[in-house]
Amino acid sequence: MIRSLVLLAVFAAAVAAHPGAFTFVIGNAVASQDFQFKSAAFALRTEGCADPAKPQITATAEGLVNGTRRSIPVKVMPSHRPGVYAVVQNWPDGGAWVVSLRGTCGDKSAGAIVPFGPQGMVRESAQFYARPATNAEVDAALKALASVK
Amino acid sequence: MSEREQIEFGKQALEHLPVEKAPDAIWASIERALDQKAAPGRARFSRWGWALAAAALAALTGLVYWTIAHPGGWIETDAHTRRTIEVGQIGSVEVEPGTRVRVVADRPNEHRLDLAHGEIRAKISAPPKLFFVDTAAGTAVDLGCEYTLTDDDLGRGMLTVTRGWVSFQWKGLESLVPAGASCRTHPRIGPGIPYFDDAPDGFKQAVENFVLGQDRGSALNAMLAQARVRDTLTLWHLLQRVEASDRERVYDRMAALSPPPDGVSRERALALDPEALKLWKDDLAWKW
Repeated sequence: MIRSLVLLAVFAAAVAAHPGAFTFVIGNAVASQDFQFKSAAFALRTEGCADPAKPQITATAEGLVNGTRRSIPVKVMPSHRPGVYAVVQNWPDGGAWVVSLRGTCGDKSAGAIVPFGPQGMVRESAQFYARPATNAEVDAALKALASVK
Repeated sequence: MSEREQIEFGKQALEHLPVEKAPDAIWASIERALDQKAAPGRARFSRWGWALAAAALAALTGLVYWTIAHPGGWIETDAHTRRTIEVGQIGSVEVEPGTRVRVVADRPNEHRLDLAHGEIRAKISAPPKLFFVDTAAGTAVDLGCEYTLTDDDLGRGMLTVTRGWVSFQWKGLESLVPAGASCRTHPRIGPGIPYFDDAPDGFKQAVENFVLGQDRGSALNAMLAQARVRDTLTLWHLLQRVEASDRERVYDRMAALSPPPDGVSRERALALDPEALKLWKDDLAWKW
């Protein structure tokens, strides 16, 4: 009984320590509900940041084209809805590409790797982290994507 | 109407004149006229050329006047031709072969077409609710989008959205169709229930059977059984169109696929509270 109560207390403390982790949520362009981004590669928003206007978000398109790694800065554009952003494709179609998202909210950080296939974003294969993705994780995602293509 | 307004009106009307290929014969006559102008001693024929040009200009002016006087003139394409209609400064509409359509309104705050039958492809880049297409089954309201709209002689149609959102409305009934989804339209029924184009065929057939009232019970069961997370687009519309006795089943399936966000209680959703439904739709859109 005591052991159960202790476990419950530890669990409750863990939940209290992370009242909604800071993370990214991605969706198709329509999720932005902003006509200016109807052609966007994808839309994104953050969760777990008390002030939706506070997060600092950057992104790069990481590619593997004919065996050569490429990296292109990507602009994360705010929509007319607070806390909702869009990424417009500025990387070439050929090769394997992922977008690496990095965000901070105060002392919290988040990362995501969003892969792209011939039909656009491969949402099911997106990976989310409580920190920026490492180069090794980006490379692994690109290799996995290239092997599928 | 002041002179300035007339000029502006004429300018807007000119934007809707179809671009026609000049008959090949005209180029021969123009070349002849140029040759005549270049050759000395043929000034008399050059004057005739100017006279012909003046007559052509007068005819064009008459055509423009006709267009201004008859802004609702029908544009018809045969089985082999296409036309392009420029929609003010906000986009364009490709008129596919075998189509009959007309411009009903062309104002900065309202661009409206009437599609009698055939197929159009609209590409609009503007804030929502500036571009409308009327059909026998209702009105397609642009919410910043690109889409294809077909309509047959009986008023049955199909709306397929490739970018953005389109709202299809008829007598208070509304279907919201995002990119990647389609919605059938029916005379005297209005917009059907939208579904994603990649949904299973059985699911799409069930949607159609439900809309047309063909064995609704089986159709509802099939939709609920086959729905994927993304098909909450269909279920969100279905929630508002089923009998009250079936609404809980639809809600439960939606909640199982994607729990409602804060602010959307079971009671509010089942009561079809507009604010709650919008909140849930905006949240679901991240999975559509």
